[in-house]
Amino acid sequence: MDFEPTYTPEQEEFRQEVRGWLAENVSPDIAHPPDSINITEEQYQLRRGLGRKLGEKGWLWATAPEEYGGGGLSLDHAVVIEEEVDSYGLTVPPYYDSGGRLGGASIMVWGTEEQKQTFLPPIFRGEVRTWQLLTEPEAGSDLANAKMSAERDGDDYVINGQKIYVGSSLGCDYMWTITCTDNEAPRHQNLGWFMIPATLPGITIQPMELLISGGESGAGSGVKNTVFFDNVRVPAFNLIGGENEGWKVATTHLELEHGTGGRIARNWLVDHLFEYCRENQRNGQPLTKDPDVRDKLIDIYVEAEIARLFNLRNYWMRHSKAEITYEGPQASYWRKMSGLRMSQSILDILGPSALTYDPQWGAADGHMEAHQRSAIVAIHPGGTADIQKLIMARRIGIGREVREQAGALA
Amino acid sequence: MDLALTEEQEMLKTAVRGFIQVEYPKETLLEMAAEEQPVTAEPWQRLVATGWLGIAIPQEYGGEGGSFTDAGVLFEELGRGPVPGPHLSSCVLAASAILEGGTEEQKQEWLPALARGERILVPAMTEANYSWAEEDVRLTARQNGGGLRLDGTKVYVFDAVSATHLLCTARSEETNEVGLVIVPVTANGVEIRSLPGFAWNLAEVKLNDVSVDQNSLAGSSFAGGWGALQRAIARTIPVMCAYQVGACQSVYEMSVGYSRTRIQFGRPIGRFQRVEDHIINLVNQLDAARWTTYETLWKLDSGKPAADSIHLAKAVGSAAYYQACNFAHEVHAGVGSVTEYGLTLHTTASRTLYHYLGDPQFHRRRLADALSL
Repeated sequence: MDFEPTYTPEQEEFRQEVRGWLAENVSPDIAHPPDSINITEEQYQLRRGLGRKLGEKGWLWATAPEEYGGGGLSLDHAVVIEEEVDSYGLTVPPYYDSGGRLGGASIMVWGTEEQKQTFLPPIFRGEVRTWQLLTEPEAGSDLANAKMSAERDGDDYVINGQKIYVGSSLGCDYMWTITCTDNEAPRHQNLGWFMIPATLPGITIQPMELLISGGESGAGSGVKNTVFFDNVRVPAFNLIGGENEGWKVATTHLELEHGTGGRIARNWLVDHLFEYCRENQRNGQPLTKDPDVRDKLIDIYVEAEIARLFNLRNYWMRHSKAEITYEGPQASYWRKMSGLRMSQSILDILGPSALTYDPQWGAADGHMEAHQRSAIVAIHPGGTADIQKLIMARRIGIGREVREQAGALA
Repeated sequence: MDLALTEEQEMLKTAVRGFIQVEYPKETLLEMAAEEQPVTAEPWQRLVATGWLGIAIPQEYGGEGGSFTDAGVLFEELGRGPVPGPHLSSCVLAASAILEGGTEEQKQEWLPALARGERILVPAMTEANYSWAEEDVRLTARQNGGGLRLDGTKVYVFDAVSATHLLCTARSEETNEVGLVIVPVTANGVEIRSLPGFAWNLAEVKLNDVSVDQNSLAGSSFAGGWGALQRAIARTIPVMCAYQVGACQSVYEMSVGYSRTRIQFGRPIGRFQRVEDHIINLVNQLDAARWTTYETLWKLDSGKPAADSIHLAKAVGSAAYYQACNFAHEVHAGVGSVTEYGLTLHTTASRTLYHYLGDPQFHRRRLADALSL
């Protein structure tokens, strides 16, 4: 076993190259507000600019095939890039791009050659930002109940309906969305996925007021929105996987969204908290010297370590194409529930200073306050904690002789 | 990055699993549990004959010279039984202590014998004031002519009933240092009494003014004995954790199997989400134990600092085994408590291993120290 990427001298050179390049290309003006709702248009453009430059180098989607605008690089190269970008407190891509990540991977599996040539290069080069639009008012945990309709009309589909809890602040270029392509057909045989240009007439984006945007993906999204589609005409070419074939595409999308992709980034929350407790005093000694605080800090550390190892395992399984069953939703479930447990431990340690981002009285520059909110909201994105358990049970085959298979990944 | 086992390790795993299925079926394990004399049983002799138990002992001392991960693979399979000791206590912990703290002569004398199972050396560490701290070692050793006289009581000594020799922590009356002294169980004044109840192969060991010769002192000095034992414990914990991983895996498979075949209210009980939850909690504990353990084995094999990982793996692994058994009992209900079914073999083992070499809270606190909090 080897828990670290193995670096050849050539790859070590690559790390030096990435490090040097990032030093020149990551703007020192990029800020890291604890709540991503405070990322301004200017800040967003700094991140998009970095994304485009990474894309030109083939480093934005490093393992995606070169023929579709990816980097065509090895897993170990991708790890080097992610580690180096992570050292700036940024993710790859350095902005919310859920539709790029999940839509891109789904098109890799289910798109025609022409669709791959059309939709993938702009994503992999960082030229576009894409939202995923799944949830509807009546299709939350029960995604297959999606009712937003797509009706064929000549060379187009006409889309009508509503999505909710989706997207981010500051707009997008494309929307990757699931629709109902046949109101009469049975469940799971009535869906279709589209890649929709966000500029089409009839699309209205309405920001929501929420506790926080949540999300587990590291790159905060800012606001979430309701998106209305009013007779939006989309070329039939943009239908991915075929009419009424949307559920099979969903299995790929959901497989990744449920955590099968894995990740290797570190947990900045634990770093922030440890640093805060080392530097701040109570009763004349650092918080870390208080036995009760130490016990709670270790509770948090252990939770985070298990999450890190599940994510790392999944990252390796995905990239080594090992057979994966329940591991994706397991990592997601652990992140969600351990996040909640950690937030209680943090509240125990810090008291009400974890509840405000007031510059004078809030702990750790507001990072703890943001976590108190995001840990709650994180229960639902990408499937609720209970849905993750439900998928695990099917994949393990609890009470079932036949185990459900994981969705296809490229 | 590659989290898979090597081909050789996969082969070892398959071989050990096959061996245990043949030699340690449930019926045998139940009989052994009833008799409390695992080492006299025939399967033990055949296990010794495979040579596998020398996996943590260097080849120059008659062992297999395996890596930590190799040892982990072996013990994970033993844990599935759960195959009772004294494999871990004698062949890993005591052997590591001799390796860390013995003289060259002692290594030559003891390690091949331990690898071949000819002698069984069991560490006797804890006392009435149950603790894993040096200051709580009270058993006294005083110079007596050319030898040592030992006086005191060790309690909760794991695998003592199987021992031919005990490796006792003892405090020198002369220097107040804690060293390691080898005591034959046949020596005058040694009394070993198995502890009744839910304890798994735990015993009381009384040393009533026992005389041993000077060669019995590991490293021929009290100084350094405690440190050698601590290094040996650090080497042993990840292997023990692998044993717990295999044990959790077995408990998990038992529970998933039962969830499919037990019918109530007209359907397999696993179709009830309340029951699903127990198994999901179980597999989460199992995988938490597995990956904290594997990362620790890898760190040790690749020479990386591993102190924090060792404490993490023990804290997570022992709690996981304990919890896994609880969840399995929730799934199994009545049948789980029937001795003949076999789940209680694990439940019993899980409680004793929870404490062996330090309980989760002990290791969580050591982890805080290791992280320089």
